[in-house]
Amino acid sequence: MSDKSDKGMSRRQFLGLTGGVVGAAALASIGFKYRGTKNERKIDPENMNYKENETDILVIGGGMTGLFAAVKGHDAGAKVLMVSKGRLGSSGQTPFAKGIFSYDAATASVSLDEFTEQVSSSALKTNNPVFTRQMAEHSKARVDELREWGFFDSPLYYDSFSKPINERNISVMERIMITHLIKENGKIAGAAGFSIDEPTIHIFKAKSVILCTGAGGFKPNGFPICDLTHDGSVMAYKIGAKITGKEWNDGHGGSMDNPAACYDGWHGMFAMSPSKTGVEIHHDLGVDINYRAYVLGNPVSMMPGGDNTIVEGGPYVPEKFVRNREAGAPPGGGNGDKMGPPPGAEAGDRPSGPPPGGEEGRGPGMAAGASSGGASAGMAIHKSEGLVPINEKGESNIPGLYAAGDALGSYMAGAIYTQVGSSLAGSAVQGTIASEAAAEYCQKAVLQNIPSSKISRIKEEILAPLKRDSGYSPAWVTQILQGVMIPNFVIYIKKESILKAALAYVEELRDHHSPMLRAADLHELRLAHETENMIVNAEMKLKASLMRKESRCSHYRLDYPDVDYKNWQAWINIYKGSDGEMKFVKQPFDSWPV
Amino acid sequence: MTEKSRLRYIIPGVILYLAVPLLYMIFGNFPDRTILKEAVSLLTVGAFFLMLGQFYLTRINKITLKGQKFSRVVILHKVIGYVFIPVLFLHPFLVVFPRYYEGGVDPVNAFKTILTTFGSKGIIMGFAAMALMILIGITSMFRKKMKMKYTTWRYSHGFLSIAFVVLATWHAVDLGRHTDAFLSTYMIGMAAIGIFFLAKLYFVEAGKIPQEAVNE
Amino acid sequence: MSIKKISGCIGCGTCVKSCPTDVIRLSPKDGKAYIAYPEDCQICHLCRMYCPVDAITIEPEKSIPVMISWG
Ligand SMILES: Cc1cc2nc3c(=O)[nH]c(=O)nc-3n(C[C@H](O)[C@H](O)[C@H](O)COP(=O)(O)OP(=O)(O)OC[C@H]3O[C@@H](n4cnc5c(N)ncnc54)[C@H](O)[C@@H]3O)c2cc1C
Ligand code: SF4
Ligand code: SF4
Repeated sequence: MSDKSDKGMSRRQFLGLTGGVVGAAALASIGFKYRGTKNERKIDPENMNYKENETDILVIGGGMTGLFAAVKGHDAGAKVLMVSKGRLGSSGQTPFAKGIFSYDAATASVSLDEFTEQVSSSALKTNNPVFTRQMAEHSKARVDELREWGFFDSPLYYDSFSKPINERNISVMERIMITHLIKENGKIAGAAGFSIDEPTIHIFKAKSVILCTGAGGFKPNGFPICDLTHDGSVMAYKIGAKITGKEWNDGHGGSMDNPAACYDGWHGMFAMSPSKTGVEIHHDLGVDINYRAYVLGNPVSMMPGGDNTIVEGGPYVPEKFVRNREAGAPPGGGNGDKMGPPPGAEAGDRPSGPPPGGEEGRGPGMAAGASSGGASAGMAIHKSEGLVPINEKGESNIPGLYAAGDALGSYMAGAIYTQVGSSLAGSAVQGTIASEAAAEYCQKAVLQNIPSSKISRIKEEILAPLKRDSGYSPAWVTQILQGVMIPNFVIYIKKESILKAALAYVEELRDHHSPMLRAADLHELRLAHETENMIVNAEMKLKASLMRKESRCSHYRLDYPDVDYKNWQAWINIYKGSDGEMKFVKQPFDSWPV
Repeated sequence: MTEKSRLRYIIPGVILYLAVPLLYMIFGNFPDRTILKEAVSLLTVGAFFLMLGQFYLTRINKITLKGQKFSRVVILHKVIGYVFIPVLFLHPFLVVFPRYYEGGVDPVNAFKTILTTFGSKGIIMGFAAMALMILIGITSMFRKKMKMKYTTWRYSHGFLSIAFVVLATWHAVDLGRHTDAFLSTYMIGMAAIGIFFLAKLYFVEAGKIPQEAVNE
Repeated sequence: MSIKKISGCIGCGTCVKSCPTDVIRLSPKDGKAYIAYPEDCQICHLCRMYCPVDAITIEPEKSIPVMISWG
């Protein structure tokens, strides 16, 4: 009953607000569904189908990383199965990235060593130079393959990605949400998940699993990552893998008008065909604008001609990489004209384009007019967060489990954006290397037997939200989480008291709400699992941020505003202790886990 | 016949078969699109209604055509046929053509998808209608060469047309971007009236069909 | 209000697969695409760009309240 009156109120308020012009269609879509009290199931959880699939290498994810992992694992002789919760080339972040870095030793202005050195100096040593160099070294080979497949000919990647996959007859299963990784006898044994189209639970038995699941966020508004919730990292964490990089932040902003409109915020760049970028090293898109907004208040704008008040303090930018705000910053996006080409990513061999700015140049919201913040909230700098690699192949501490691309905490670029277009290139390179290593691993490995008791338990866990008669809707919990995490003074401009306060909320969500998420259909079941993963990610972010008592690159603490070269030349790794608690350990820069 | 009296059937025809649908499309509550896309839509829907208007330009129209010199009406009937057939024939291409100018699926791929969506009744109807339309077009153009008795031709022309209109209307109501409740009802209504009177002419008033070919 | 309208759909299902956040489904009734979960639309336009007959209209406003970092 309260449900009804609630709805009635909001409906009237809504109509009052909009003068009723938006009408019935809008009304039907307004997101108050989650105020329902009872779980009105549309799927019978007792009547699910069950399917087992077997393969050598299971590639989870169908973005740039997954593409190369699948193709190269196959070429290395392994039987590959790709599974993704979305469509090949049309899910995750890959569809929106338009500039890809290609290092050509023959023409490059710097050597590989110089390149690596410069990235390290911009990143204040937060990068892992092995991965930085590896990315540059192999980028051209991958870019050339992409060209052959037709990648540069269309703004949509499905066709070019499908070409090598179809030529090799690699199996692809789409729209399957993976929720569990399975470990047996200390080794990876497979994964489990469910189809969002039909009531089927899938178990995948595999000798090796490569997580190409990308990064994630809190389903933020203004960055097209609402399908990514760090599922890979959280699943891996639960079976004992180490996770890193949670204190860093991607500092993308959006526009103040319609902040949620990703497509519009990027000024139609999503509709452009991709292009190449060349060497150009920056120190970009950390939390500078967040600091500015914190100090000056709204509106903030990063465009020339905007407010040029100099703000004291804030994130440290190495001298060499400081940009003159007045002199045409941001590079590659210097046109204040809203309809103009997007800031950055207008790159590489596009003839008359501005200098490469790449996605990492300046964010979408940096166009003329006021910027909003938190467009990508919950996401760190690409490749600074994810599974901790034990070697340059992206292997995790669990034998047979690899990660690559945005799912791997390789610190390829460091904890700040350094090289435009390297994120895509790094995904292609790491996917290839991880998969070749996995194929080799598979030659000696055997399929692990998964006990049926474990399978039953996993099924129960997958279906739990569907089976709950009452509980909390994932949409509502997500909104609460966003409200707790996204404010500028929580996740970007940090200080101990607020981090602790937010942590209290998040722990409440973890302890009381995660176990009570409910779902009425398969779509909502996916949301329920995603919400649970977001809560884990929030906890990791807050705790890592509390631990890192310094400021560096994209992590900024008001109470520790300086770089601490003495105590913090280290990354933070997170793992699940034997008591189930989240544990944290430092790993010195430029070292591998012991 | 004077100019004025010819206007007596042309004006209502234009209102019924062009003004009403096209103005509805222009001023109705439809999402804004690019001028090129709007133009393609107007052209296609216009052609569709011209096609329905062919009923109006036959002997079954005993109201506004009363007293008209029929050979002249037949010329108009033919001219309109030669106008709408090519447009409808091309409209599947016109639908994908604007994609050439924007980021997104490329026109050739889009067209391939359209051609291979066999699960869609609307697409199947469209294909069938297209085939009939071509048949009607050819048999009209080469009527003289076909050595067919005029009445036989008349009947087959009528029957083919009825089948074609049924399929085409079904297709348009099912797949048309602008066929909301009003436009669908209007299309079905216009098609039904035409078919009804044509059928009536053939079955009920069969004897009255003139045996001689119409003079051109 | 994010994804707003689908008209002229031929039911090919491409948009359903292409939507990263699973907003669109094919109706079991008429086999055509409909907006099943509009509140999850991230306004990325992939569905529109992939649709062979350009049937999808998207608007920049989000259908539910939007959380941002400062206001
Ligand atoms: C708007 C935007 C612009 C960008 N511009 C650039 C640029 O110009 N240059 C550049 O280099 N980089 C850019 N980037 C970054 C770049 O897109 C990413 O770093 C890169 O695409 C990551 O590739 P990936 O394959 O590792 O992950 P993603 O592309 O994110 O793919 C992740 C895949 O995993 C799947 N997945 C996730 N969770 C699950 C699960 N639980 N079960 C099953 N499947 C799952 C997803 O469906 C998806 O297929 C941009 C990113 C964005 C968002
Ligand atoms: S705009 Fe993007 S998120 Fe919205 S329905 Fe289309 S594909 Fe899905
Ligand atoms: S892609 Fe277009 S035609 Fe195909 S189902 Fe979606 S809306 Fe319909």
